[in-house]
Amino acid sequence: MADVKATDGWEPKIVAIVCNWCTYAGADLAGISRIQYPPNVRLVRLPCTGRINPFYIMKALQEGADGVLVSGCHPGECHYLSGNYSARRKFSMLKRYLSYVGIEADRAMFTWCSASEGERFAKVIKGVTEKVRELGPAKKLVKTL
Amino acid sequence: MENVEKKLQEEAKKLLADKKVDVVIGYERGTLPLTATPVFITDAGDAEKLVYDATCVQNLAKYAHDIISAHREAQKKVKPEDRKNKVVGVVARGCTTRSLVIQLQERQYDRESIVILGVPCDGYIDPKKFNLALDGEQAAEGSVNGDQIAVKTLAGEKKFALKDVLADNCITCRFNNPVISDVVIGDKAPAKAADKEYEKVDAFEKLSTEERWAYFTKEMSKCIRCYACRNACPSCYCKVCFVEQTMPQFVGTSAEQTDTQIFQLLRTFHMVGRCVDCGSCVSVCPMGVDLRNFLKKLDKDALELFEHRAGASMEDVPPLSTYRENDKEDFIYNP
Ligand code: SF4
Ligand code: SF4
Ligand code: FES
Repeated sequence: MADVKATDGWEPKIVAIVCNWCTYAGADLAGISRIQYPPNVRLVRLPCTGRINPFYIMKALQEGADGVLVSGCHPGECHYLSGNYSARRKFSMLKRYLSYVGIEADRAMFTWCSASEGERFAKVIKGVTEKVRELGPAKKLVKTL
Repeated sequence: MENVEKKLQEEAKKLLADKKVDVVIGYERGTLPLTATPVFITDAGDAEKLVYDATCVQNLAKYAHDIISAHREAQKKVKPEDRKNKVVGVVARGCTTRSLVIQLQERQYDRESIVILGVPCDGYIDPKKFNLALDGEQAAEGSVNGDQIAVKTLAGEKKFALKDVLADNCITCRFNNPVISDVVIGDKAPAKAADKEYEKVDAFEKLSTEERWAYFTKEMSKCIRCYACRNACPSCYCKVCFVEQTMPQFVGTSAEQTDTQIFQLLRTFHMVGRCVDCGSCVSVCPMGVDLRNFLKKLDKDALELFEHRAGASMEDVPPLSTYRENDKEDFIYNP
């Protein structure tokens, strides 16, 4: 992944880990409604945000993602009732921790986006892409070998 | 602590003689001056080997867990009617009891499998600070008398205050008395400077992102990935640690710095709500990596966000296995 890291012509690479029931469906809605959003995002679909091991986020940063976004159902709307509540606890700890060790806070983002929020999905992706673009290519934690 | 040591020996002896426990895990004199090492006593006659003072460093909950789980594994090969229970006595000060609470909450064994010999604690000697205080000389003999340490080296005698060589975690310890015990030994130890426990973390938070990153990478670059920290930690007991796991492989094994940084991030993050600040990892680290600065941050955040202190009470629920509907969510991105 190191080869595309040259800053000229550089485009942020964002891994979005999303739950199947809300955000993935929201992304789908954005697609079928022809709402434009930056192509910088790579979606990874998981059953629920409760399924997301915080390791995945750190691993994605190591493997060359310039930013990681996690998105799932709004609180109270999780398909498995409480998956996103547990996830919220993990991620509130993780967000603080990553920034404590010196990784830019905006490299790991968390949000909620429901199946009916195609507009919001596009807005989130735009917003995150812009934030990561401002930060520039990720240099910390990134594996080069 | 002399009284405590005597009483401890008596209680251990009684427990073993009455067959209330199969083994007592405690500390015995180490081979080097002013050191103690874990000991496993199965014979009541050996109880006087037990020592207890500021030279006792390791968190013994680690061994309690190891012995009980090894026994359980071994029993699988025994006919059901011949299976035996094993009861383990543990000499436990505040941090050790907190680790036992965590292991119990995580259902690692039944409460009946352990007998907790609760001891008060005034803090232990940090071997690294001790060596610094010796200024490169070798201790040939040494003793702790109250709050003074007397050491004989080849060059002569040296005396210094115990408080100058206490481990950092002991100086600001909030739980220097057992949080649970079956046998209470000695009087309560006086409180430590617990109000200062997050001072270093607070100061570190004020540094700039780049300064924090520089410190993190500098510390982690010392790490040789011996995994002694993991092996010493009473909360690290997974049969297959993510470090050795290969499908998927979370931690690369190359010499590249990032692999070590990821290892440290993952291990420390595993400690959310589970690190009792016993300092065992710090004390076994051969490279002097400042792990505490990072572990303590997780401790602070768990307190701030979930009002949780690891292993403080049997009634608490581990913070990451529960939630509140109104948990803080100011970190959620809303474009
Ligand atoms: S991480 Fe270190 S200080 Fe925390 S419980 Fe484990 S050994 Fe003790
Ligand atoms: S004990 Fe120290 S050197 Fe060994 S793996 Fe842990 S931090 Fe690294
Ligand atoms: S199913 Fe969407 S967060 Fe649980």
